[in-house]
Amino acid sequence: MIKKTFKIPNMTCSACAMKLEALEDVLDGVQEINASYHKLEMVIEYDESKLTEEQIVAAVKKKGYQAMLA
Amino acid sequence: MSTKNQKTSVDPVIVVALGVAFVAIAFALAMFQSNPSAGVTSDSGAMWQMVAAFITGVTTGGLSCLAVQGGLLASSLAHQVERDYAEQAAQTRAQRKKSKANPHINVALPIFLFLATKLGAYTLLGALLGLLGSYLTLSPMMRGALMFAIGIFMVGNALRMFNVHPIFRYFSIEPPKFITRYIRKTAKGADTATPIFLGLLTIFIPCGVTQAMMATALGTGSAFMGAALMFAFTLGTSPVFFIVAYLTTELGAKLEKLFMRFVAAVVLILGFVTLDGGLNVLGSPLSFQNLTRDMFPPSRAATSPRVSVPVGELLLQVENGGYFPTTLKAPADKALTLNLVTNQTYSCARDFVIPVLNYYEALPETGTVKVNIPAQPKGSRLFFTCSMGMYTGQIVFE
Repeated sequence: MIKKTFKIPNMTCSACAMKLEALEDVLDGVQEINASYHKLEMVIEYDESKLTEEQIVAAVKKKGYQAMLA
Repeated sequence: MSTKNQKTSVDPVIVVALGVAFVAIAFALAMFQSNPSAGVTSDSGAMWQMVAAFITGVTTGGLSCLAVQGGLLASSLAHQVERDYAEQAAQTRAQRKKSKANPHINVALPIFLFLATKLGAYTLLGALLGLLGSYLTLSPMMRGALMFAIGIFMVGNALRMFNVHPIFRYFSIEPPKFITRYIRKTAKGADTATPIFLGLLTIFIPCGVTQAMMATALGTGSAFMGAALMFAFTLGTSPVFFIVAYLTTELGAKLEKLFMRFVAAVVLILGFVTLDGGLNVLGSPLSFQNLTRDMFPPSRAATSPRVSVPVGELLLQVENGGYFPTTLKAPADKALTLNLVTNQTYSCARDFVIPVLNYYEALPETGTVKVNIPAQPKGSRLFFTCSMGMYTGQIVFE
């Protein structure tokens, strides 16, 4: 398992954080996601063998947000 | 076959739901108007708050709530739709033909259940906040301070929505992670109880406008008023929420972007009004009304007949529309008596406050109350207001 932090600059409210945390249910290999609107970031703990950074960025983009590795 | 020529049928659940909403509004309005002398419901200030809450709900609350809570409902509905498709696939051709007459009923019902539960939950929450506020508003000064804080919170939230500075993000309350995680897991349920339970849980993820309204409910200092305020607001949000959620939840995201600035502007205005009310109740000369009073002459005069008072005493007529005259002149360095005269006055103007003197009096509906004003230096001004900071006036000492 690895833990990485992504900056999400275009969150507009705390509901955005909830939407991003819902990626836990759709991305295979994710252990936990903690997103914060206050910090404009998302901390994701995942299995590197099952998931890549690119896949995470793409999934975040699909939700309507930009993700950059912090 | 093509469905282009098919007439779009109106879902009966929508008709019933909207009907219930409009009947509720009509009932509420009739209740307010039919009994002009009955306690809290007759208070024009309270009535104004209810109407403002309802309009806020209709204009901004619905879209704002939809942006925050729509995802939950959509998630729940997605499972409902999946189940409906599975059931339809299992049906015989004859059964499918029969069920075509009303294809969306299973989608409309969860939305209705969700909104009905949400309405009940927020009304109860409003009552609890109002009750809590009643313990916080022991004195007019405390109420003024609370209103001031609420106003700051609303203005901060509006500036957050305008994305003025990152610091304003902290005006948004983030629900604890265990709650959001629990709600998300609950949203996966596909039974009838799921939308009901989700409607109940929305109180833990209020949108910015709802948070502002919750703060206002706290400021009412009354369980009844808090409940009525949140009921009016949530009822106002329901038609927009229902229609948009019914059509498509995707539209919610687009509308959120389109109306976010409009929502922010409304919250900003409401915030400044609350802030100004707080300043009035605190007796500050910096409130908008106190700063601009001398620039604008009073737009209306007293409507009740003028009563005579002993020579040398001041007369202030307390009416449903405020205080008349709004500016009284009195000799400096001399104690005086102020006569507060009410005549079938039911509005919050009856809750008379002179903040600097720490004077508060709930005036009778009809009658005269005398207030002893100590000597004041020349050139000073003594501000008075109602306990909500809506109606104001001053005594100028010369």
